[in-house]
Amino acid sequence: MQISPILAALRYHKAGVVLIAMQIALTLAIVCNAMFIIHQRLVRMDKPSGVEESGLLVVKNEWAGKPATGQIASLMAADLDTLRKMPGVANVYATNTYPLSNGGFANGIGHSPDKRNYVSVTAVYFSDENTLSTLGLKLVEGRNFNADEINGLGDNDKIAPAVIIVTRELARRLYPDGSALGKTAYISNEPSIIIGIVDRLQIPWVDNSMARWADCSTLLPFRNLVTITHYLIRTQPEEIEDVATRVRATLYATQRLRVIRPKDGVKTFAQVRAAAYKSDRGMAILMGVISVILVATTAAGIVGLASFWVGQRRKQIGVRRALGATRQDILGYFLTENLLICMAGVVLGGLLAIGLNLWLMKQFEMERIAPGYVLAGVAMLLLLGQCAVFAPAWRASHVPPVEATRSV
Amino acid sequence: MLKMTHLSKVYRTEVVETYALRDFNIDVKEGEFVAVTGPSGSGKTTFLTIAGLLETFTGGEYHLDGVEVSHLDDNARSRIRNEKIGFIFQAFNLIPDLNVFDNVEVPLRYRGMKAPERKQRIMDALERVGLASRAKHYPAELSGGQQQRVAIARALAGSPRLLLADEPTGNLDTQMARGVLELLEEIHREGATIVMVTHDPELAARAQRNVHIIDGQVVDLAEDPRFHTAYAAAAGQVRG
Repeated sequence: MQISPILAALRYHKAGVVLIAMQIALTLAIVCNAMFIIHQRLVRMDKPSGVEESGLLVVKNEWAGKPATGQIASLMAADLDTLRKMPGVANVYATNTYPLSNGGFANGIGHSPDKRNYVSVTAVYFSDENTLSTLGLKLVEGRNFNADEINGLGDNDKIAPAVIIVTRELARRLYPDGSALGKTAYISNEPSIIIGIVDRLQIPWVDNSMARWADCSTLLPFRNLVTITHYLIRTQPEEIEDVATRVRATLYATQRLRVIRPKDGVKTFAQVRAAAYKSDRGMAILMGVISVILVATTAAGIVGLASFWVGQRRKQIGVRRALGATRQDILGYFLTENLLICMAGVVLGGLLAIGLNLWLMKQFEMERIAPGYVLAGVAMLLLLGQCAVFAPAWRASHVPPVEATRSV
Repeated sequence: MLKMTHLSKVYRTEVVETYALRDFNIDVKEGEFVAVTGPSGSGKTTFLTIAGLLETFTGGEYHLDGVEVSHLDDNARSRIRNEKIGFIFQAFNLIPDLNVFDNVEVPLRYRGMKAPERKQRIMDALERVGLASRAKHYPAELSGGQQQRVAIARALAGSPRLLLADEPTGNLDTQMARGVLELLEEIHREGATIVMVTHDPELAARAQRNVHIIDGQVVDLAEDPRFHTAYAAAAGQVRG
């Protein structure tokens, strides 16, 4: 392999070499991190909520005229009764929030009332005896709430549940050495007995900053007697569109003093998921587009520079052919030359990729990039370089030896 | 060593056929120093490029060192160029990005020679042309005569059977040209076969044999009354 003469010759084309190597380095640094971000976003978007999402409908209801807590209780009971009787509806319950809603509240939960010593943060879902079946949650230990355990909770009422249901992840954190079932946990100043454990229930927020406790949820046996209520409706999946079309009119028929916004008052859970991950999807697409543009620009740069060099060195190629170089020798020369430039670029790019990742970690709480991304990026750019230079190198290999005798 | 029989080279376009060589016959024996002369456009360079396997011919036969070359593929032609032929070009054709050592090394690398042997041959060749001390210099740092000497060293390093020179002194002043010519004569005395294309009568006169090309054919000037006067005058000048 004629590496040393190629390196010697490259010293005479420093500007082009440095520019292409820098372009490769920047492309590698950006594309590696972009791919890592895309992967993270896809993983996050693919995270199971624990909810059986198909066939689930969400209705956001806002009572007009500031009704009293007692009135809301009876209005809500009437609504639940009405909804349950709708054709295509399997079950329904009322709640303060639901997974992926990006709203609600969280609380510390631990082994004592002292909030400074909480074990984990947990999302708080107000629930009733229909919650598990409506959401399709999988109860792995214990039991569901009984109807007589469900209490109304007004704006000024204290949250002090006697019993709670927690997710498996929260149970593990609270009692890592054994089952949490039947044990006590403090989500308020009063002790709550854990009566059930569900396999999984994602919190309402999808932000990366909350990823550490994304599966720590607690179901509290309350009916939220406030102005804004969410009805979660389990339909037969094939009838969800029909129910979604009729539900607003049906509720208005029972009570007109309410607001269910035409635009987003009724949503399928698929729409909820799409809205929750809209920015993640957008970021993944943006990163993908940037990566494609960068890679295409780099490939074009390599093709352009190699083509220019082939044109510039036609006479030299002819001389090499006259001195005995075969077409394969010339092809190999340009491929090797490109490989050397790309290798310089990817070494620098690898360091830049790690540096950029460290900066992103510091500035945007990004995770540490896996070495596999950098290695895959290196392999991809080396391959890209070889593919990009192949056509100009092929043209170079077909420069006839008689070119050596032609005056420039 | 080099024998062309009824050889022709035709350049074709859609509307015209141009004969660069027509019924071309030449036989160069091993160890000969042949000068090929002729006016511009007569076919001298075409002859040299075909002789050096830099391009193919249209018809006839060409035997190089006993091998009929018309049916050889591109790789085989490259191998013969590399192993049997040394080229000396008018414009030197050194690679400007490489130093003198690396320039002389180019054909040896294509031969797949090991590094120690390459180094020995390169230094021997540079010693022979008197430029061993300039091995690390780049072509741009050398005079025209020195560059042509490097080109000769590059041609000699591979120990070719045939040395083809295309106007080797065409870009040099008189003093440098004389030095290069003396070097070629020395190489010839040591047994090399040299075919040199030139339009310089003085240079041609110092060759062992002269071949004149007119309109793509070899002609005998002594027997052609059209050229007798000019040839005699040129020869007289040289001898005088």
